Amino acid sequence: MLDYRLLDWKLFAAALALSAIGIVLIYSAGHNSTNVYVQGFWLRQLQWLAVALFAYGVVIHLPPRLFDAGAYFFFAGVLALLVAVLLFGDDRLGARRWFDFGPISLTPSDIAKLALLLVLARFFAYTRLPVTSTRRLAISAFIVLVPMALIIKQPDLGSSLVLAVILLGLWFWSGLSPAYLFLVLSPFLSLAAAFHWLSWVIYLVVLLAFVLWRRPSFLFGFTVVVANLAFGTITPLVWNRLQPYQQQRILSFLDPGQDPRGAGYQIIQSKIAVGSGGITGKGYLDGSQSRLDFLPERHTDFIFSILGEEFGLIGSLIVLLLFAFILYRGIMIATKCRSRFLSYATFGVVSVLLFQLLVNVGMTLGMMPVTGLPLPFVSYGGTSLVLVWTLIGLMQLAHYHWQEY
Amino acid sequence: MVEHGKIGLEARRWIALGVVGAIVLFLGTGLIRLQVIQHAELAERSENNRVRVVPIPPRRGYFYDREGRLVVSNRPSYTLAVIPAESSRETIPRVADLIGLDTAAVRERIRKNLISRYQPSQVKVDLPFGAVAQLEEQAELYPGVSYILDRVREYPADLRVESFIGYVDEVDRRELDTLDGERYHLGSMIGKKGLERSYDRTVRGREGTEFIEVYASGQVLGPYTERPSTPPEPGNDLELSIDIDVQRTAAQALQEFCCGAVVAMEPSTGDVLAMVSYPGYDPNIFSSVVSDSLWQALTSDSTHPLLNRPLNGQYAPGSTTKLITIGAGLEEGIIIPSSVYEPCYGGMQFGNRYFRCWYAPGHGTLDAIGAIEHSCNVYMYQLGLQLGIDKLADYFDRCGFGVPTGIDIAGESRGNVPNSAYYNKRYGERQWTRALVLNNAIGQGEILTTPLQLASFYCGLANGGVVNEPRLVRATIDHRTGRPTPMPIDSSYSLPFSDQTLDYLIESLARVVEGEEGTARSLKNDYYRIGGKTGTAQNPHGDPHSWFVGLAPVDDPQIVVAVIVENAGHGSEVAAPIAADVIQSYLFKQFNIVPEPELSLTVDDTTGLP
Repeated sequence: MLDYRLLDWKLFAAALALSAIGIVLIYSAGHNSTNVYVQGFWLRQLQWLAVALFAYGVVIHLPPRLFDAGAYFFFAGVLALLVAVLLFGDDRLGARRWFDFGPISLTPSDIAKLALLLVLARFFAYTRLPVTSTRRLAISAFIVLVPMALIIKQPDLGSSLVLAVILLGLWFWSGLSPAYLFLVLSPFLSLAAAFHWLSWVIYLVVLLAFVLWRRPSFLFGFTVVVANLAFGTITPLVWNRLQPYQQQRILSFLDPGQDPRGAGYQIIQSKIAVGSGGITGKGYLDGSQSRLDFLPERHTDFIFSILGEEFGLIGSLIVLLLFAFILYRGIMIATKCRSRFLSYATFGVVSVLLFQLLVNVGMTLGMMPVTGLPLPFVSYGGTSLVLVWTLIGLMQLAHYHWQEY
Repeated sequence: MVEHGKIGLEARRWIALGVVGAIVLFLGTGLIRLQVIQHAELAERSENNRVRVVPIPPRRGYFYDREGRLVVSNRPSYTLAVIPAESSRETIPRVADLIGLDTAAVRERIRKNLISRYQPSQVKVDLPFGAVAQLEEQAELYPGVSYILDRVREYPADLRVESFIGYVDEVDRRELDTLDGERYHLGSMIGKKGLERSYDRTVRGREGTEFIEVYASGQVLGPYTERPSTPPEPGNDLELSIDIDVQRTAAQALQEFCCGAVVAMEPSTGDVLAMVSYPGYDPNIFSSVVSDSLWQALTSDSTHPLLNRPLNGQYAPGSTTKLITIGAGLEEGIIIPSSVYEPCYGGMQFGNRYFRCWYAPGHGTLDAIGAIEHSCNVYMYQLGLQLGIDKLADYFDRCGFGVPTGIDIAGESRGNVPNSAYYNKRYGERQWTRALVLNNAIGQGEILTTPLQLASFYCGLANGGVVNEPRLVRATIDHRTGRPTPMPIDSSYSLPFSDQTLDYLIESLARVVEGEEGTARSLKNDYYRIGGKTGTAQNPHGDPHSWFVGLAPVDDPQIVVAVIVENAGHGSEVAAPIAADVIQSYLFKQFNIVPEPELSLTVDDTTGLP
C-alpha cells in the first residue's frame, strides 16, 4: 500500500494550482460569449480535471515495472492509432488529428508523447551502446522519426517538435555532452546560415574547427560534416524553387509581425493584451482584449494572454514560477532516482513541459513563432490535461520509488 | 574514468537547472518588456482597439421665408442595410423584392459598402415608408436586415426654390482637401449649390461625438462610459428674403410655358422676393442617390432643367435696356426730353442695310418718353449712333451689366457688354462697322444679361439710383436664443443717372403701362400704378424671348419684377401678365387689398402688344 506521506505533495500542489488557474482563466475566456457551448468550457475542463486526477491516482499506484515492460506494446499501439487517425480521423480545419467519440475527442498525437517518452526511456535505460556511438544515436533517432513523420502528415508541426525535443532531452540526460548535442543539431544551423554564402562559409570553418577540437569518432564527425554540407547546399535550391506565397508563409511563421492580418494579427493582439495588463492587470473578467473577442484562440493556445491582461505581471510571474518549481522538482527527482528507466522518463517529462512552456508563452509574448502548442495544465483541452497529469503521475512514481533500481 | 564526450550526472543536473532558469528568465524579461516598458503604448492600442468614435450629425438649420414660414426643413429617412453575418439565404432575394431591385444589384451594393461581415452594409437610402413598415411587421422574414434612422433635407417640390436653395450631398475627396478637417470629414454632408453651399458654415452646426465599445468583429457592445459623449450643436436657421406667396405665384405662372425665369426684388434692400427657374427639378432627388437614368434624363432634356436661368441664363435684354440708351443720351446732353429725331417710317437705312422698327407702319415723330412708351427702334438707332459704341457700353457697364451682381450664392454668370475693344478682339480691327451700335441701342446684338442683372438694374432705378446687392438671406437665427442677426444691406453702386434723369425714366416706365399707346397697357389697374418695359429678344434658337421688367407702385416702388419666357414672342403678350400676377401677389398683401370680384386682372388678348 502507498504511503501517502512519502509523496511529493508540493509537486502535486503546484500542478493542481496551475490546473485551477487554467479553469479560472477558461471561465474568463468564455463567460460573455454568446455561445452557450463556449460558456460551458470551464465546466468541461473541471470535469476533465477530475478525469486527469483519476489518471494521476491510477499511475502513482501502479508498479514502475509495468511501464517499463509495457512500453514497446504501448508504443506499437500508439503507432497504429496514428496511422488510423490519418485514415479514419475527423477533418477539422484541414487537419486530421482527432477521433470524435460523441462529446469526447481523442488526439493520438498527445498519447504519442507519452508512448515515445516511455519507449525512449526504456531504450536508453537498457542499451549497452556507448553514449556517443553513432548506432545508439541513429536507433533512438529512428524510433522518434516514425511517429514524428506520422504526426507531421496530420499535419501537426507543434506536436512533432515535442517528440524531437523528448529525444534531445534524453540524449542529453543519457550523458551526451552539450558539444555533441551541438554537433547533432548543427545541420539545422547550417540550414539557417546558408541563406548567405559568406555566413555559411564562416559557419563551416567554425564547425570544422570545433569537430577537430572535440575529436569525436570518425564516423560521427564525418556524418556531421556531410549532413551540414548537404543541408547547406540543398536549402537555397529548395528555397528558390518555392512559390513566393510559400516563402511568405515560412517567413511569417518565423516573424509573425510581417503579416499583420494573418498569424501576425494573433500575435499583435496577444501582445496588446499582455502589455495593456501592466503590472497588476485589468482585473478578473475585465480584460477588454479577451472580452471583446480581440484575442483569438484564447481558451487554448493564447490562454496566457488572458492571464497577462487580467492579472498583469504579478499573475504571469506566479504562473511562470509554478512551472519553474515543477521543472525544478522534476530535475531533482531525475537526478536522485536510482532506476535508470524512471530517471529517463522523468527527464523526458521535464523536457516536454519546458519546451511547451517556452513555445507557448514565447508565442504569446511575440518572441516565438506560432506553433499551436497548448500551455500544459492551463490551456483548455481534455486529452492534453489528462496526459500532463499522467506525466506528473510518472514523476511522482519516480519520486516515490527513487530508491529502487 | 569518464567516457569521451560524456558528462557526469552532477554536471547534467546543473546544466538542466541552468536551462530551466534561462528559459524562465527569457520569458520573464519578455513579460517585463511588454507589461512594464511598453505598457503605456500597448494600453493605448488596447483602448483604440475597442473604442470607436461615432459622429452624431447635427441638426442642419431650417430656412424660413421673410414672414417666418418654413421653406426647408429636415425629415427622417431610413437607410436599409444588411449585416451579412446575420443574414440567411432568403434575405437578399426578399430585400431585392422589397426595394424593387434585382438580386445581383443588391449583392453588388452590399459588397461595395462592406466594412466587415458584422457591420451593416448600406443597400438603399431613403427607404419608402411602406417598406419600413413591412420590415417592422415582418422582421422575421428579413434576418440580418436593419434600417438606420437618418435625417435628410426636405425641400418644397412645387415652389421651384432649387435655383437658389441648392442641395446637400456627401462631401467629396477633392473638396475635403480645401476644407478644415475639424468640421468636415469623409461622409459628412455639405451644401453643394445655392444657399446650402454659401451658408453651409452657418447652418451645418457642429457634429457631436459618441464613444462606443465594439467587439473585434465590429459588432457594437454599447456606449463606452468612460468617455462621455459630446452632443451635437444644431446649425443656425436662416430667414430668407423670399416671400413664398410671391415665389409660388411666379412658379405657377411659368408652368404654362416651356422655359423661363422670374426674379422679384425689393428695391430698398436688394431682397430677392422670388426667384424661379423653369423648368426646374425636384431638389429632393439629391436626398438619395441619384440614379443614372434620372441624371441622364435631367442632363439630356432639351429644356435644360438644370440650367439656373435667373443667374446663368444669358439673354439679349431686348427693349428692356432702351432706358439705358435714353438715360445715356440725357446724361451726355445729346438729347433733352423733348428732343425728336427723324421720324420713324417702320425702319431706317444705315450703310447698305435697312434696320427695321418692330412696328412696320412706323411711329412717326416721337420725343424721348414717347420712344420708350412705343419702344421705337428708329429713335434708339439714331441716338445710339450719336452716342457711339463705347459710350453706350460704358453706360451698360455702370448700370451693372457684364459683371456678377454679387448675390449671396455662387456661380453667377457675368453676361456680356460689347465695346470696341471687344469687337476688335472678336472680329479683328476695322473688320466691323459702326452699325453694331444700332443693335446695342435696342438691346440686341451681342449684349447679354441675366434676369437677375436686369432686375437689379431696375431696382436701382426704383431706389433713387442706388443699387443694393441682391440678397437671399435677411438674417441668421441663432439656434439657442432664436434671435435673428440681420444681414447687412450692401449698397454696392449708384447708377450713372441724375435724379432728374431717374425721375424721367421712371415716368417713362409708367407711360408704357398708362400711355394710350403704351406697350403694356393691359397692366393698368385700379389699385396701384405699375411701370415697366417690355422686351422682345431676337435669338438664334427660334421665336424671340418675351421680356418684361416692371416696378410698382410707381411713386414708391416696393417690388421690381423681371420676367423672361423663352421663345414666347412679344413681351407684352406673355411676360407682362406674369409680372402683373407676381406684383399683385405681393402688393395686395402689402396694402391689404381685397379685390372686388368683377375687377379681375385678366389680360385682354386682343390688346396685347410688346
